[in-house]
Amino acid sequence: MISRLKEIIEYKDMIYSMVKRELRGRYQKSALGMLWALLFPLFQIAIYTFVFGVIFPSSIENYYIYLTAGIVPWTFFSEAVGQGAGCIVNNSNLATKIYFPREVLPISAVLAKFINMLLAFVIVFLFIVIGGVGINPAAIWFLPIVMIAEFILCLGFTLLFSAITVYIRDMEYIVGILMMAWIWGTPIMYSMDNLQPIVKVILLCNPMTSIVQSYHAVLYYKQLPDTLYTAITWGSAIIILVIGELVFAHLEGDFAEEM
Amino acid sequence: MNANISNPENAIEVRNVHKFFKVYEDKGTMLRERIVNIGRNKYEKREVLKGISFDVKKGEAVALIGRNGCGKSTTLKMLTKILRPNEGTIAEQGRISSLIELGAGFHPDLTGRENIYINASIFGIKNKEVDRRLDDIIAFSELEQYIDNPVRTYSSGMYMRLAFAVAINVDADILLVDEILAVGDQAFQTKCFNKLRDLKANGMTIVLVSHSIGQVKQICDRVIWIEDGLIRDEGPARKICDDYLNDMELKRLERVEVEAKMRDQKEKESLENGELSQEEKNIIQEKLNNSMKCQKICSQCGPDARRSGTGEAEFTDVIMVNEKGEPCTRFATGDKLSIRIKFKANDTSKNLNFTFGITRSDWVYCYGNEMQECTGHTISGKEAGEVVLTINKLNLLKGAYFLDFWIQDEAGVEIDCIHNLIVMHVEEDTGKDHGIMGMDHDWEIQ
Repeated sequence: MISRLKEIIEYKDMIYSMVKRELRGRYQKSALGMLWALLFPLFQIAIYTFVFGVIFPSSIENYYIYLTAGIVPWTFFSEAVGQGAGCIVNNSNLATKIYFPREVLPISAVLAKFINMLLAFVIVFLFIVIGGVGINPAAIWFLPIVMIAEFILCLGFTLLFSAITVYIRDMEYIVGILMMAWIWGTPIMYSMDNLQPIVKVILLCNPMTSIVQSYHAVLYYKQLPDTLYTAITWGSAIIILVIGELVFAHLEGDFAEEM
Repeated sequence: MNANISNPENAIEVRNVHKFFKVYEDKGTMLRERIVNIGRNKYEKREVLKGISFDVKKGEAVALIGRNGCGKSTTLKMLTKILRPNEGTIAEQGRISSLIELGAGFHPDLTGRENIYINASIFGIKNKEVDRRLDDIIAFSELEQYIDNPVRTYSSGMYMRLAFAVAINVDADILLVDEILAVGDQAFQTKCFNKLRDLKANGMTIVLVSHSIGQVKQICDRVIWIEDGLIRDEGPARKICDDYLNDMELKRLERVEVEAKMRDQKEKESLENGELSQEEKNIIQEKLNNSMKCQKICSQCGPDARRSGTGEAEFTDVIMVNEKGEPCTRFATGDKLSIRIKFKANDTSKNLNFTFGITRSDWVYCYGNEMQECTGHTISGKEAGEVVLTINKLNLLKGAYFLDFWIQDEAGVEIDCIHNLIVMHVEEDTGKDHGIMGMDHDWEIQ
């Protein structure tokens, strides 16, 4: 395991290149370029705010800020895991022809989406400042810790799904459907406060719940997240990463033959 | 899987490596099929490598040759660690780089310069190292003017040149090359080839998979010939390559013979079935006659014989004989042989000139001459006749050769031309001469 990690670090320049390729390549030819990284979440927020702020008004105060604080991290998760599931098969020309630690592909895929999220956080901060919620220095330092935990969780899931996708191509579609359901099992459009205790427990089995709640705490309620949430967040992130890497390492040897 | 090198002089040690591939009847990567097939092994194991062992010494250049599907590329992929052997071990020491896939990771919308960094990083090269080599890479690719344009604007030749420039400028102890020297125009190919030789001269270990026997002979010290997943032979490049070419040619000729028979059979059948127009029938009939005619005029006719010409005169009988006058197509270097050529003229006003040529099985034109140039004479006014060409001393070395026979008029119009009419085998040579032919020579130590 240690030697594997060392090798991945050896290839950090490849990770850098692949992330750059993904980001530059994606926006290079479009007229608005990188601006899309901001416009996309902006429209997403506008649409959900229209539905839950105007059509079915929510009781949450400053709904659009509550939504923004949750949906931006969620978009990172769903894109990283949903698109990352295909990262090995979509790069089969590399994986079947050249030797490099295969983990480079999922790591790069998740990292590219992570950088996209960091860009989108411009909007998050814009909203909390303009919307009057403001920033609490005593809580905001915790934000990177939540982000890193989310990154680790995403990487774990992406390692797991991308390796399985090589053997079962349907996985890509299944993950897509999973994401569609998963967003409703996470308190992004609604608040956990008024839910039945039993429903709360069920929601907490979803590792994204504690993560999104932590984002809400730091950005919307301007306080440090509940210790329980932090424990669940980091515990689940590390467990998923270890499971993901174990499965990945186990399946990786025969990738070239399966594709 | 990865063992340690036992002899420190070796860069690569391959020991008794087996490789199976699962061949699915209908490869089920769909979940439905996976579920349906659970517990049932619906695949066959195909053994691609059946136990091969070899060493490559440090600084040595070795080629793997063999027919398509013999397992040479699989071997190379295992050396790069992309595939794992099912049995046996592979030990390697030193940094390995592979020229298997060119232009890996190139993004069409990014510039040539950006793509150099991406491509190099996939080979495990640090960006700092690329910075240092960037000028070399760009200069090698000859794309200085275009290096900041997006790669999508490149021609395919430019694309490959850039890709090759990155791949060949990597630092490695062991370089694995898979059939990629056919890049760009002739000048660039020569450049790549020379670069490879420089790398070898600088002590890099090279393992090459190639079908270009000429290149193999020039770069490699040693050749490993793989056939049906086993090592058939290994040894000095020149010897193994020649044996391999001979073997390939024999197999090809056997195959051509089978195919020619099948084709004739099919054409005969289609003639009898009679669903064709008269015109189509005539064409087929003519083709049939043609191949039959070659056989009719020459009992030694090779399977590849092709005949064409205007037909004012034609060959009626061609036979190659040895010194004793017996029909023969197998000789040794230094033998005397004659070819007796009978012909008839349908138009006796033509001045007939006879030409003959010898081509080696790898399409090297070896020798030819024409009667008019050699004797100053042509033949005219005869309805039939015979000419005899005698070769007093056959200088050609071991190999298979095709003999062509032509009748032309003095203006060079082809009256009756038969390519590859006879396949001649030179089976023994002195063993002391190398190349295409022997030369009368003396060494003096003074």
